[in-house]
Formats: sequence, C-alpha cells, structure tokens
Amino acid sequence: MAEESFLTDDFLRQLMNVGEVDILVGLPTHNNAKTVGSIVHTIQTGILRGFPRARAVIINADGGSRDGTPELVTGVSIDDARPASNLYALRTLHSISTKYANSSQPSNKVAFRTILAAAELLRAKACVVMSPESANVEPEWLSKLLGPIYHDDFDLVTPTYSRHKFEGLLITNLLYPMTRALYGVRIRETYSPEFGFSGRLGTQFLGQNIWTDATNGTGVELRFTLAAITGKFRICQSFLGEKIQIERRSADLVPALRQTVGALFSALEPDFPVWSVVAGSEPTLTNEADHGVLLEPLRINRKRLREMFSTGVAELESVFQSILSPATLAELQQIARLRDEDFRYPAELWVRTVYEFAASYQKSVISRDHIIQALAPLFRGKALTFLTENRNASAEEIENNIEGLCREFERLKPYLLQIWKSSE
Amino acid sequence: MPLNRTALWYKDAIIYQVHVRTFHDSNGDGIGDFQGLNGKLDYLQELGIDAIWLMPFFPSPLRDDGYDIADYNAVHPTYGTLDDFRKFLESAHERGIRVIIELVSNHTSDQHPWFQESRSSRDNPRRDWYVWSDTDTRYNGARIIFLDTEKSNWAWDPISKSFYWHRFFSHQPDLNYDNPAVREQMWEVMKFWLEMGVDAFRLDAVPYLVEREGTNCENLPETHEVLKELRRRLDESFPGRMLLAEANQWPADLRPYFGDGDEFHMAFHFPLMPRMFMGLKLEDRKPITEILHQTPEIPSSCQWSLFLRNHDELTLEMVTDVERDYMYDSYAESKMMRLNLGIRRRLAPLLANDRRRIELMNGMLMSLPGTPIIYYGDEIGMGDNINLGDRNGVRTPMQWSGETNGGFSTAPPERLYAPIIQDPVYGYQAVNVLRQKASEHSLINWMRTITGVRKSTGVFGRGSIEFLYPANHRILAFIRQLGNEAVLVVNNLSSSAQAVELDLRHYKGNILIEMFGKNIFPRVGDLPYLLTMGPYQFYWFRLRRI
Repeated sequence: MAEESFLTDDFLRQLMNVGEVDILVGLPTHNNAKTVGSIVHTIQTGILRGFPRARAVIINADGGSRDGTPELVTGVSIDDARPASNLYALRTLHSISTKYANSSQPSNKVAFRTILAAAELLRAKACVVMSPESANVEPEWLSKLLGPIYHDDFDLVTPTYSRHKFEGLLITNLLYPMTRALYGVRIRETYSPEFGFSGRLGTQFLGQNIWTDATNGTGVELRFTLAAITGKFRICQSFLGEKIQIERRSADLVPALRQTVGALFSALEPDFPVWSVVAGSEPTLTNEADHGVLLEPLRINRKRLREMFSTGVAELESVFQSILSPATLAELQQIARLRDEDFRYPAELWVRTVYEFAASYQKSVISRDHIIQALAPLFRGKALTFLTENRNASAEEIENNIEGLCREFERLKPYLLQIWKSSE
Repeated sequence: MPLNRTALWYKDAIIYQVHVRTFHDSNGDGIGDFQGLNGKLDYLQELGIDAIWLMPFFPSPLRDDGYDIADYNAVHPTYGTLDDFRKFLESAHERGIRVIIELVSNHTSDQHPWFQESRSSRDNPRRDWYVWSDTDTRYNGARIIFLDTEKSNWAWDPISKSFYWHRFFSHQPDLNYDNPAVREQMWEVMKFWLEMGVDAFRLDAVPYLVEREGTNCENLPETHEVLKELRRRLDESFPGRMLLAEANQWPADLRPYFGDGDEFHMAFHFPLMPRMFMGLKLEDRKPITEILHQTPEIPSSCQWSLFLRNHDELTLEMVTDVERDYMYDSYAESKMMRLNLGIRRRLAPLLANDRRRIELMNGMLMSLPGTPIIYYGDEIGMGDNINLGDRNGVRTPMQWSGETNGGFSTAPPERLYAPIIQDPVYGYQAVNVLRQKASEHSLINWMRTITGVRKSTGVFGRGSIEFLYPANHRILAFIRQLGNEAVLVVNNLSSSAQAVELDLRHYKGNILIEMFGKNIFPRVGDLPYLLTMGPYQFYWFRLRRI
C-alpha cells in the first residue's frame, strides 16, 4: 500500500502560493516561542542582506508547539500587506509553517523530511536549516551557509564554530575522527543544527529509503552528511564563530549517542562498499578560519565521570563480553582499577573499543540500542582522559591531540575491516 | 464621430503619444509632418484612442528634440504650417479625437528672441525674463538633473557676462516666473492655441518654475501659485480643456499639483511605471501594490496618467538604489542602454519581444486607476536602436509597411531624420502596421480589442480600486468598482502557470463574465474562488448579480 502523504493539504496549499524559490530556510521548532521571533528576524535580515534579489521562503516545520511558535513565524512574512518596518525587501518573503502530520512528538527526522519535501516541491536551489536554539545567530550565517551553494555550486556546507576546548567531546573524540578515518573526508561538524545544502542533494536524500525505517530514524543530520560524502557531492565548511545555545538541555548522553553514534554505526553497513576502500583522508575546503578554541576555565566533575566509567565496566561486564574482544575487555578492566590520579584511557584502546562496538552493532550481537547504551560509560572514561590530558593545554596543543586521535583512527582502520569481514 | 463632451473626458480617454516628425512624411523630405499625421488619423481612430499627445512641434534649434522652443506661436517649418496644424486639429476632432500639445513652460531655447533680448544687455526690458546672477553659487541646493551632460545649473553667458540658470541643458535657460510679465506671456501662448481649438496642454518640467534660496528649488509654493493662476484663467475662458503635469516626483510630492481640484487635471504617475516592470521581472506584485498604497487620494475631478514607455528613458529616479541596480541588471545589460538615471529602450525589446508579457503589461496599463498613454509604435511592438545617441533610439520612424523606409517616407533612406529600424527581429519588414492589420491575431488587432473592452465600461477610468491579497504573491488581483458596476482584474506576473484562490465572499452570488470572450465563469460561493492561470495571463471579469 502506498505511504500516506506526510504533507498536509494546508501545507501544500501554502507551498503552492509560495511557488518556485531560489532559497529555502528550514526552521524546525517545538515550543520555541521565546526565541523564534528574533531568529526569524535574523534570518530575514540575512536573506535580504546576502541575497536581496533571490526568491526566498522560510519553512517552519513544527512538532506541535503549544506556545504559539508557528504563529510567531507566520506573522512575520514580508509582503505587500505586511511591509517590514525595519527591513527593505525587493520582493515578497514568505514565512510559512506546518505542524508535521502523523507525529505524536517532535522529531528531527520528520521535520527535516518536511523541509526536504518543501525544498523539492519549490525547486529550491540553495537551502539552509537553522536552529531555533542558537542564542547568537547572526545574519551573516545565512550568507556563510548558503553562499557556497548559491554562488559556487557546492552541495553541502557544514559549519565550524569557536568552541570551548571541552565542549563537543563526542565530536572531537569519536564522530569527527571516525567519520574522517572511514569516509576519508575531514568534516569537523558532521552533526550540526545549522547547515546548508543544495536542492539536488536534498532531493537525492529525500529519495533514500530511510524515512520509514524506525531503526534508522535518529541522527538524520549525520546521515545526511554521510549521504553527501558517499554520493560524491561537493562539500565545504564555513566558520560561523562562537556558538551559544539558548537553553542547555540536560546532558543526557545516551540519547545523544543514539542520535549520533547510532546513526553513524547504522550507516556503516550500507556504506561499506564506500568506506571499505578509502585510505587516509583529505581536508575539506573551509571558508575563513578552520575553527576556534576557547580556553576559559570550566568546572567539571571528574570524580563523577571516573565513577561512572568504573561502575559501568564492572556492571556491564556480561554485555561487554558480547561486544568486545577479550583483549580489549581485559585492558578496560585493567584501567578501571587504576588509581584516580593514574587513570588514562589510551587512544589506541579507545579506537579499538569503538571499532569493536561498530562491528558488534553490525552483527547485532545484542539489541543495537543496548550496544549504544553500553558505550556511554566507556565514552565517559575517554572524556575524562581528554579533560585530564588537556587541562592546561593551549589551543594548538589541543588541536594536535585531536589530530593524533584522528590518525589513530586512520591507522587502526584495517583492524575494523578485519573484524567487520570476520563477522560476515 | 463627435467629441466626448463630458467635462471629465480625460478620465475616460486613451491617449496616444506621438512626435509629428516620427509618424508620416507627406512631402518626401524624410521628416514627418502634419499632413502626414493627418493622413493617418483613420488608423488612430481604428486603434481606439481618444486623444493624441503631440510632442513639441514649434520652431526650435532641435537640440533637445523640440523641448528647446524658439517660438511658441508657430509650427516648425519642417513639420508644416499653422494652417496644416489647424486642418489636422479639425480632422482629429471630426473623428472624436482630442489633441494635447506641449507647453514647455519652464525654459526656452537660448535661440528664442526673448533670451536673445535678455542677454543683449543688463538694461534690456526682457532682462528679467530669465534668471541671471553674477555668481554660480546661488540655489546650490538644487540637484543637477542631466548628470551625464551638465556639471552645474548655472551657465556663463559671455555676451552679458553673467550666469544664467538652467535646470536642464545649458542651451535651455529657465524663464523667471517671479516676473509677472513672463506669467502673462505664458498665458498668452496658451490662449493662442486654445482659441485655435487645442484641447489640453502637457506642461513640461513643472516642479522647477520658481527658485528660492535655501531650497531644492522643486515643488515650491510659489510654483503652485503660478500654476493655479493659469488653471483659473483656463477654467474661466476655456472650460472643458485640460492640463497635464509632467513632474517626475514621488506620489506624495505630486499630490499638491492637483490642489483642491484647482491646479492640474492630470499628472503622470512616474513611480508606478518602473515598478510594473520590476514586478514582472520579480514575478511579485509587491512593488506595484506598495507604490499604489503610497499613492494619495486625489480630487474626484483629477486623474493619474499611466504609461509603459514614452519618448524619454525609462526613468529610474523614483526608485531606491537597490531597485535601480536590479532594473539595470534586468532590463539594460548593456551600458549603451542606460542614460542618465534610466533605460533608453522601447516596450517590446524591454520585454524580450514576448507577446504574452507585452499583453500583460498593456492589460495592467489599461486596468489600473488612471488614463493610459500608448507610445507610438508600441502598439505594433516596434524595436529601438541603441546605437543612436541620447533618446533618439526610441524615436525612430513609424513602421507602416514593408516598403522602402517602412512606408514612412518616399525620401532616399539616407535623408530620413533618423534611420528606420532594420534588424531582423524588429525591422520594418517584420514589424509593420500593414502586415499586422492583415493578421487576425497580431498585436495591433489585440490592442484594438483591448482598447474597445476598456471603453466598454466606465470603471477603468473612474472606478475605485480595492486590492485583493491572495496568498500567491505572483498574482496581482483587484476590483474596480463604479456604482453598481464591478470588474475583477487578475494578473499572473509569473512566467509559469499559477493557481490562485481569491477571497470574493463580498461578491457572493455574482457570476463572472470574462470581458474579452464574454464567457460565463462559475458563480461566487462561500469557498475561495479558484482560478488557474497560464504564464503572464490576465483576466478581466465583469461581476454580475443575476
């Protein structure tokens, strides 16, 4: 039976009124009334400054807000009935909203699918997804994320930011080095709430068979980046400056691992023909600075991280026996017994751990979700090591350490291939 | 056909703008003349126009295409005689066509005897008929209009060894309207032509009549006093005649030129025209509706005059810098197409000779509030010649047929006042009246149809306008209403087919009658009225409650 359309009739009617566009800005929201007004204003300013002649639309895919978020978005269209008080627009700038259908809760996947569908129907040339939760969005971000697509024919523009040296540890210790090693492309932020993409990339991804597969539902942004790599689309990075979240969500690691590492592991199986033949990695063209590192002191509960690592290694021994090789497990148990001041999770061991998790994920030795959950305490151990080793490190030293880890992932890639093939 | 005797005839009219030089040459000297124009009045009558606006035909050194007048009370000999003009005027009136002539009131040619006397000595009685100064620093708040050619609004006169004021070319000294004798003389000029039977004047460059220190010397109250006085005398002595203002200003600044219905009857709506082109290119109604929102109400006896193209460049003075850049990039890719702050091109080349776009623009011209003006040759889609200097590229001979010189003249081609268009697309062999008259679906026959449809109702000339705001911004839709009569106008500004839902609840129960084919469309109900429209298509529907 054909899948029921996930676009509502009302949304289609709105799209019909917008017509073909050059630029589409996707804005997934859920109860963002406090911030969405200023974000949309910034987006409008960015469009009008950077692309004053372009036909543009802002598409709000809302996950069922109860705080009036959609009304705030649609209320700021610029047209002949509603001229902007402080912005000059050559042409109409639509801002439309839809509550995506058949969804009981907010979902990045459904929101992104809605945005992609709108982009295809409107034949958008250049698209960008913006986060309603970034506190310091600047109008220039639009030009930085859209410009390479609109003017230079790139297909994907991922951002780089100035981050605190201890922010984004999952990216620096796993996602960046592993995707780089496996796919051969150095993309710093493979998973970002802001990114630009071409209409053709969006259409290609929309046609992939991932939308109805519940197990592949999370981490759609990362899957999108990987699709751009495997599809040999043109990719570049744009430096956006410092990124500040409006409201920090509670640091719940497991959902984050599901969305990112889970998505990466899921992709490895279908992408095997691509990554298995890649050796080394190539830098990605980056506009302006590559990225930045902020060094202000930060209070971190190292003791807590250490406890969670050791407890996890002990309590999950039977799970790890299914996932890890005996040698890797033994080494983990060994470092779990180290004194706090001596604790260190070596890079080589960390890479082997991750690769063995990936291979076990592919084999589904146990429930894939449990595999991802089991990685959490180990990641905390790796994070603690990173924090300790880089406590007094300069920006350059930190970068060197991350580069070292990346090389370790690249060096051990044959090990992943070996255990991957042995599982086939 | 008798003349329309209603006092407000200009509100119902369709005006045709032509330079006598360009239309038809009766004596084979290569220059159009009044006898030639007279011979083509049947053509104009068939086209469905109600008035002819003639560009200056007075004796002149022709350094600004006749806007540099050397004698206000005569006809330039190359165009014929006063008697020829009288005969033309009578013939036009016999066909129900009124005649509007130019009154270049702000300045004369430096060859005009008045100026020659004025410059002859500082004691000459006519010295004060022009604006003289010992320095070139007075009125420095006034902008320079012809930026491409003039560096100052003052020019040095070596004869009387002083500076004279000119807002346009330096060979066009401004008259001094602070001098009562000048005002009286200008009324005498008007009377001369009014007594002959001329129906209206287009007053050229009216914002600049009076100068005052510390101002930009435009739109001054003293200028309005001069104009109101002329109007008062016109109404007293020649009721039913009309004054049309040329004032390239923003609508709000133009409003005072209507006064309380006691200054000008009509004024050009300059800012609307470029925005129609902009809206078409952007495929967005926003520029058009925005400028019309900014257009103030005018007295009921007054009227805007609308145009797509005229003898000048497509002026971009009344747009923002962003809009001007967009227009240049969209419509004048070659620098040769640009002049001053504008684009010196004709309608058809501007619209890439796309028949659908030409029809749509004419449809808007004929249905927006105002009196439409058709520039000669645009009714057949004539092209331009950007290799000719200044604005001469849009002032080439009318193309009547595929014969030598396009049927314009029997003179040898090299003797024509300007070369006729000869390129493969717009040349006279391809684009001419004779050929188009023979073709049922030609542009000229379509133009005859639309003028007829417009004149079938008074709503376009006199009705109110109410914009509809369908969510589809590519659709410009509005209702024109006069009494119980209402017309729905829907324009698709897009190059692609569009669907649009119109909120016509206020007209629930009406049926729609398409005004060109007279076909009936479904009755308006409770739901939004759905229309599908082809690329650049437009509809005029009469709303009828039956």
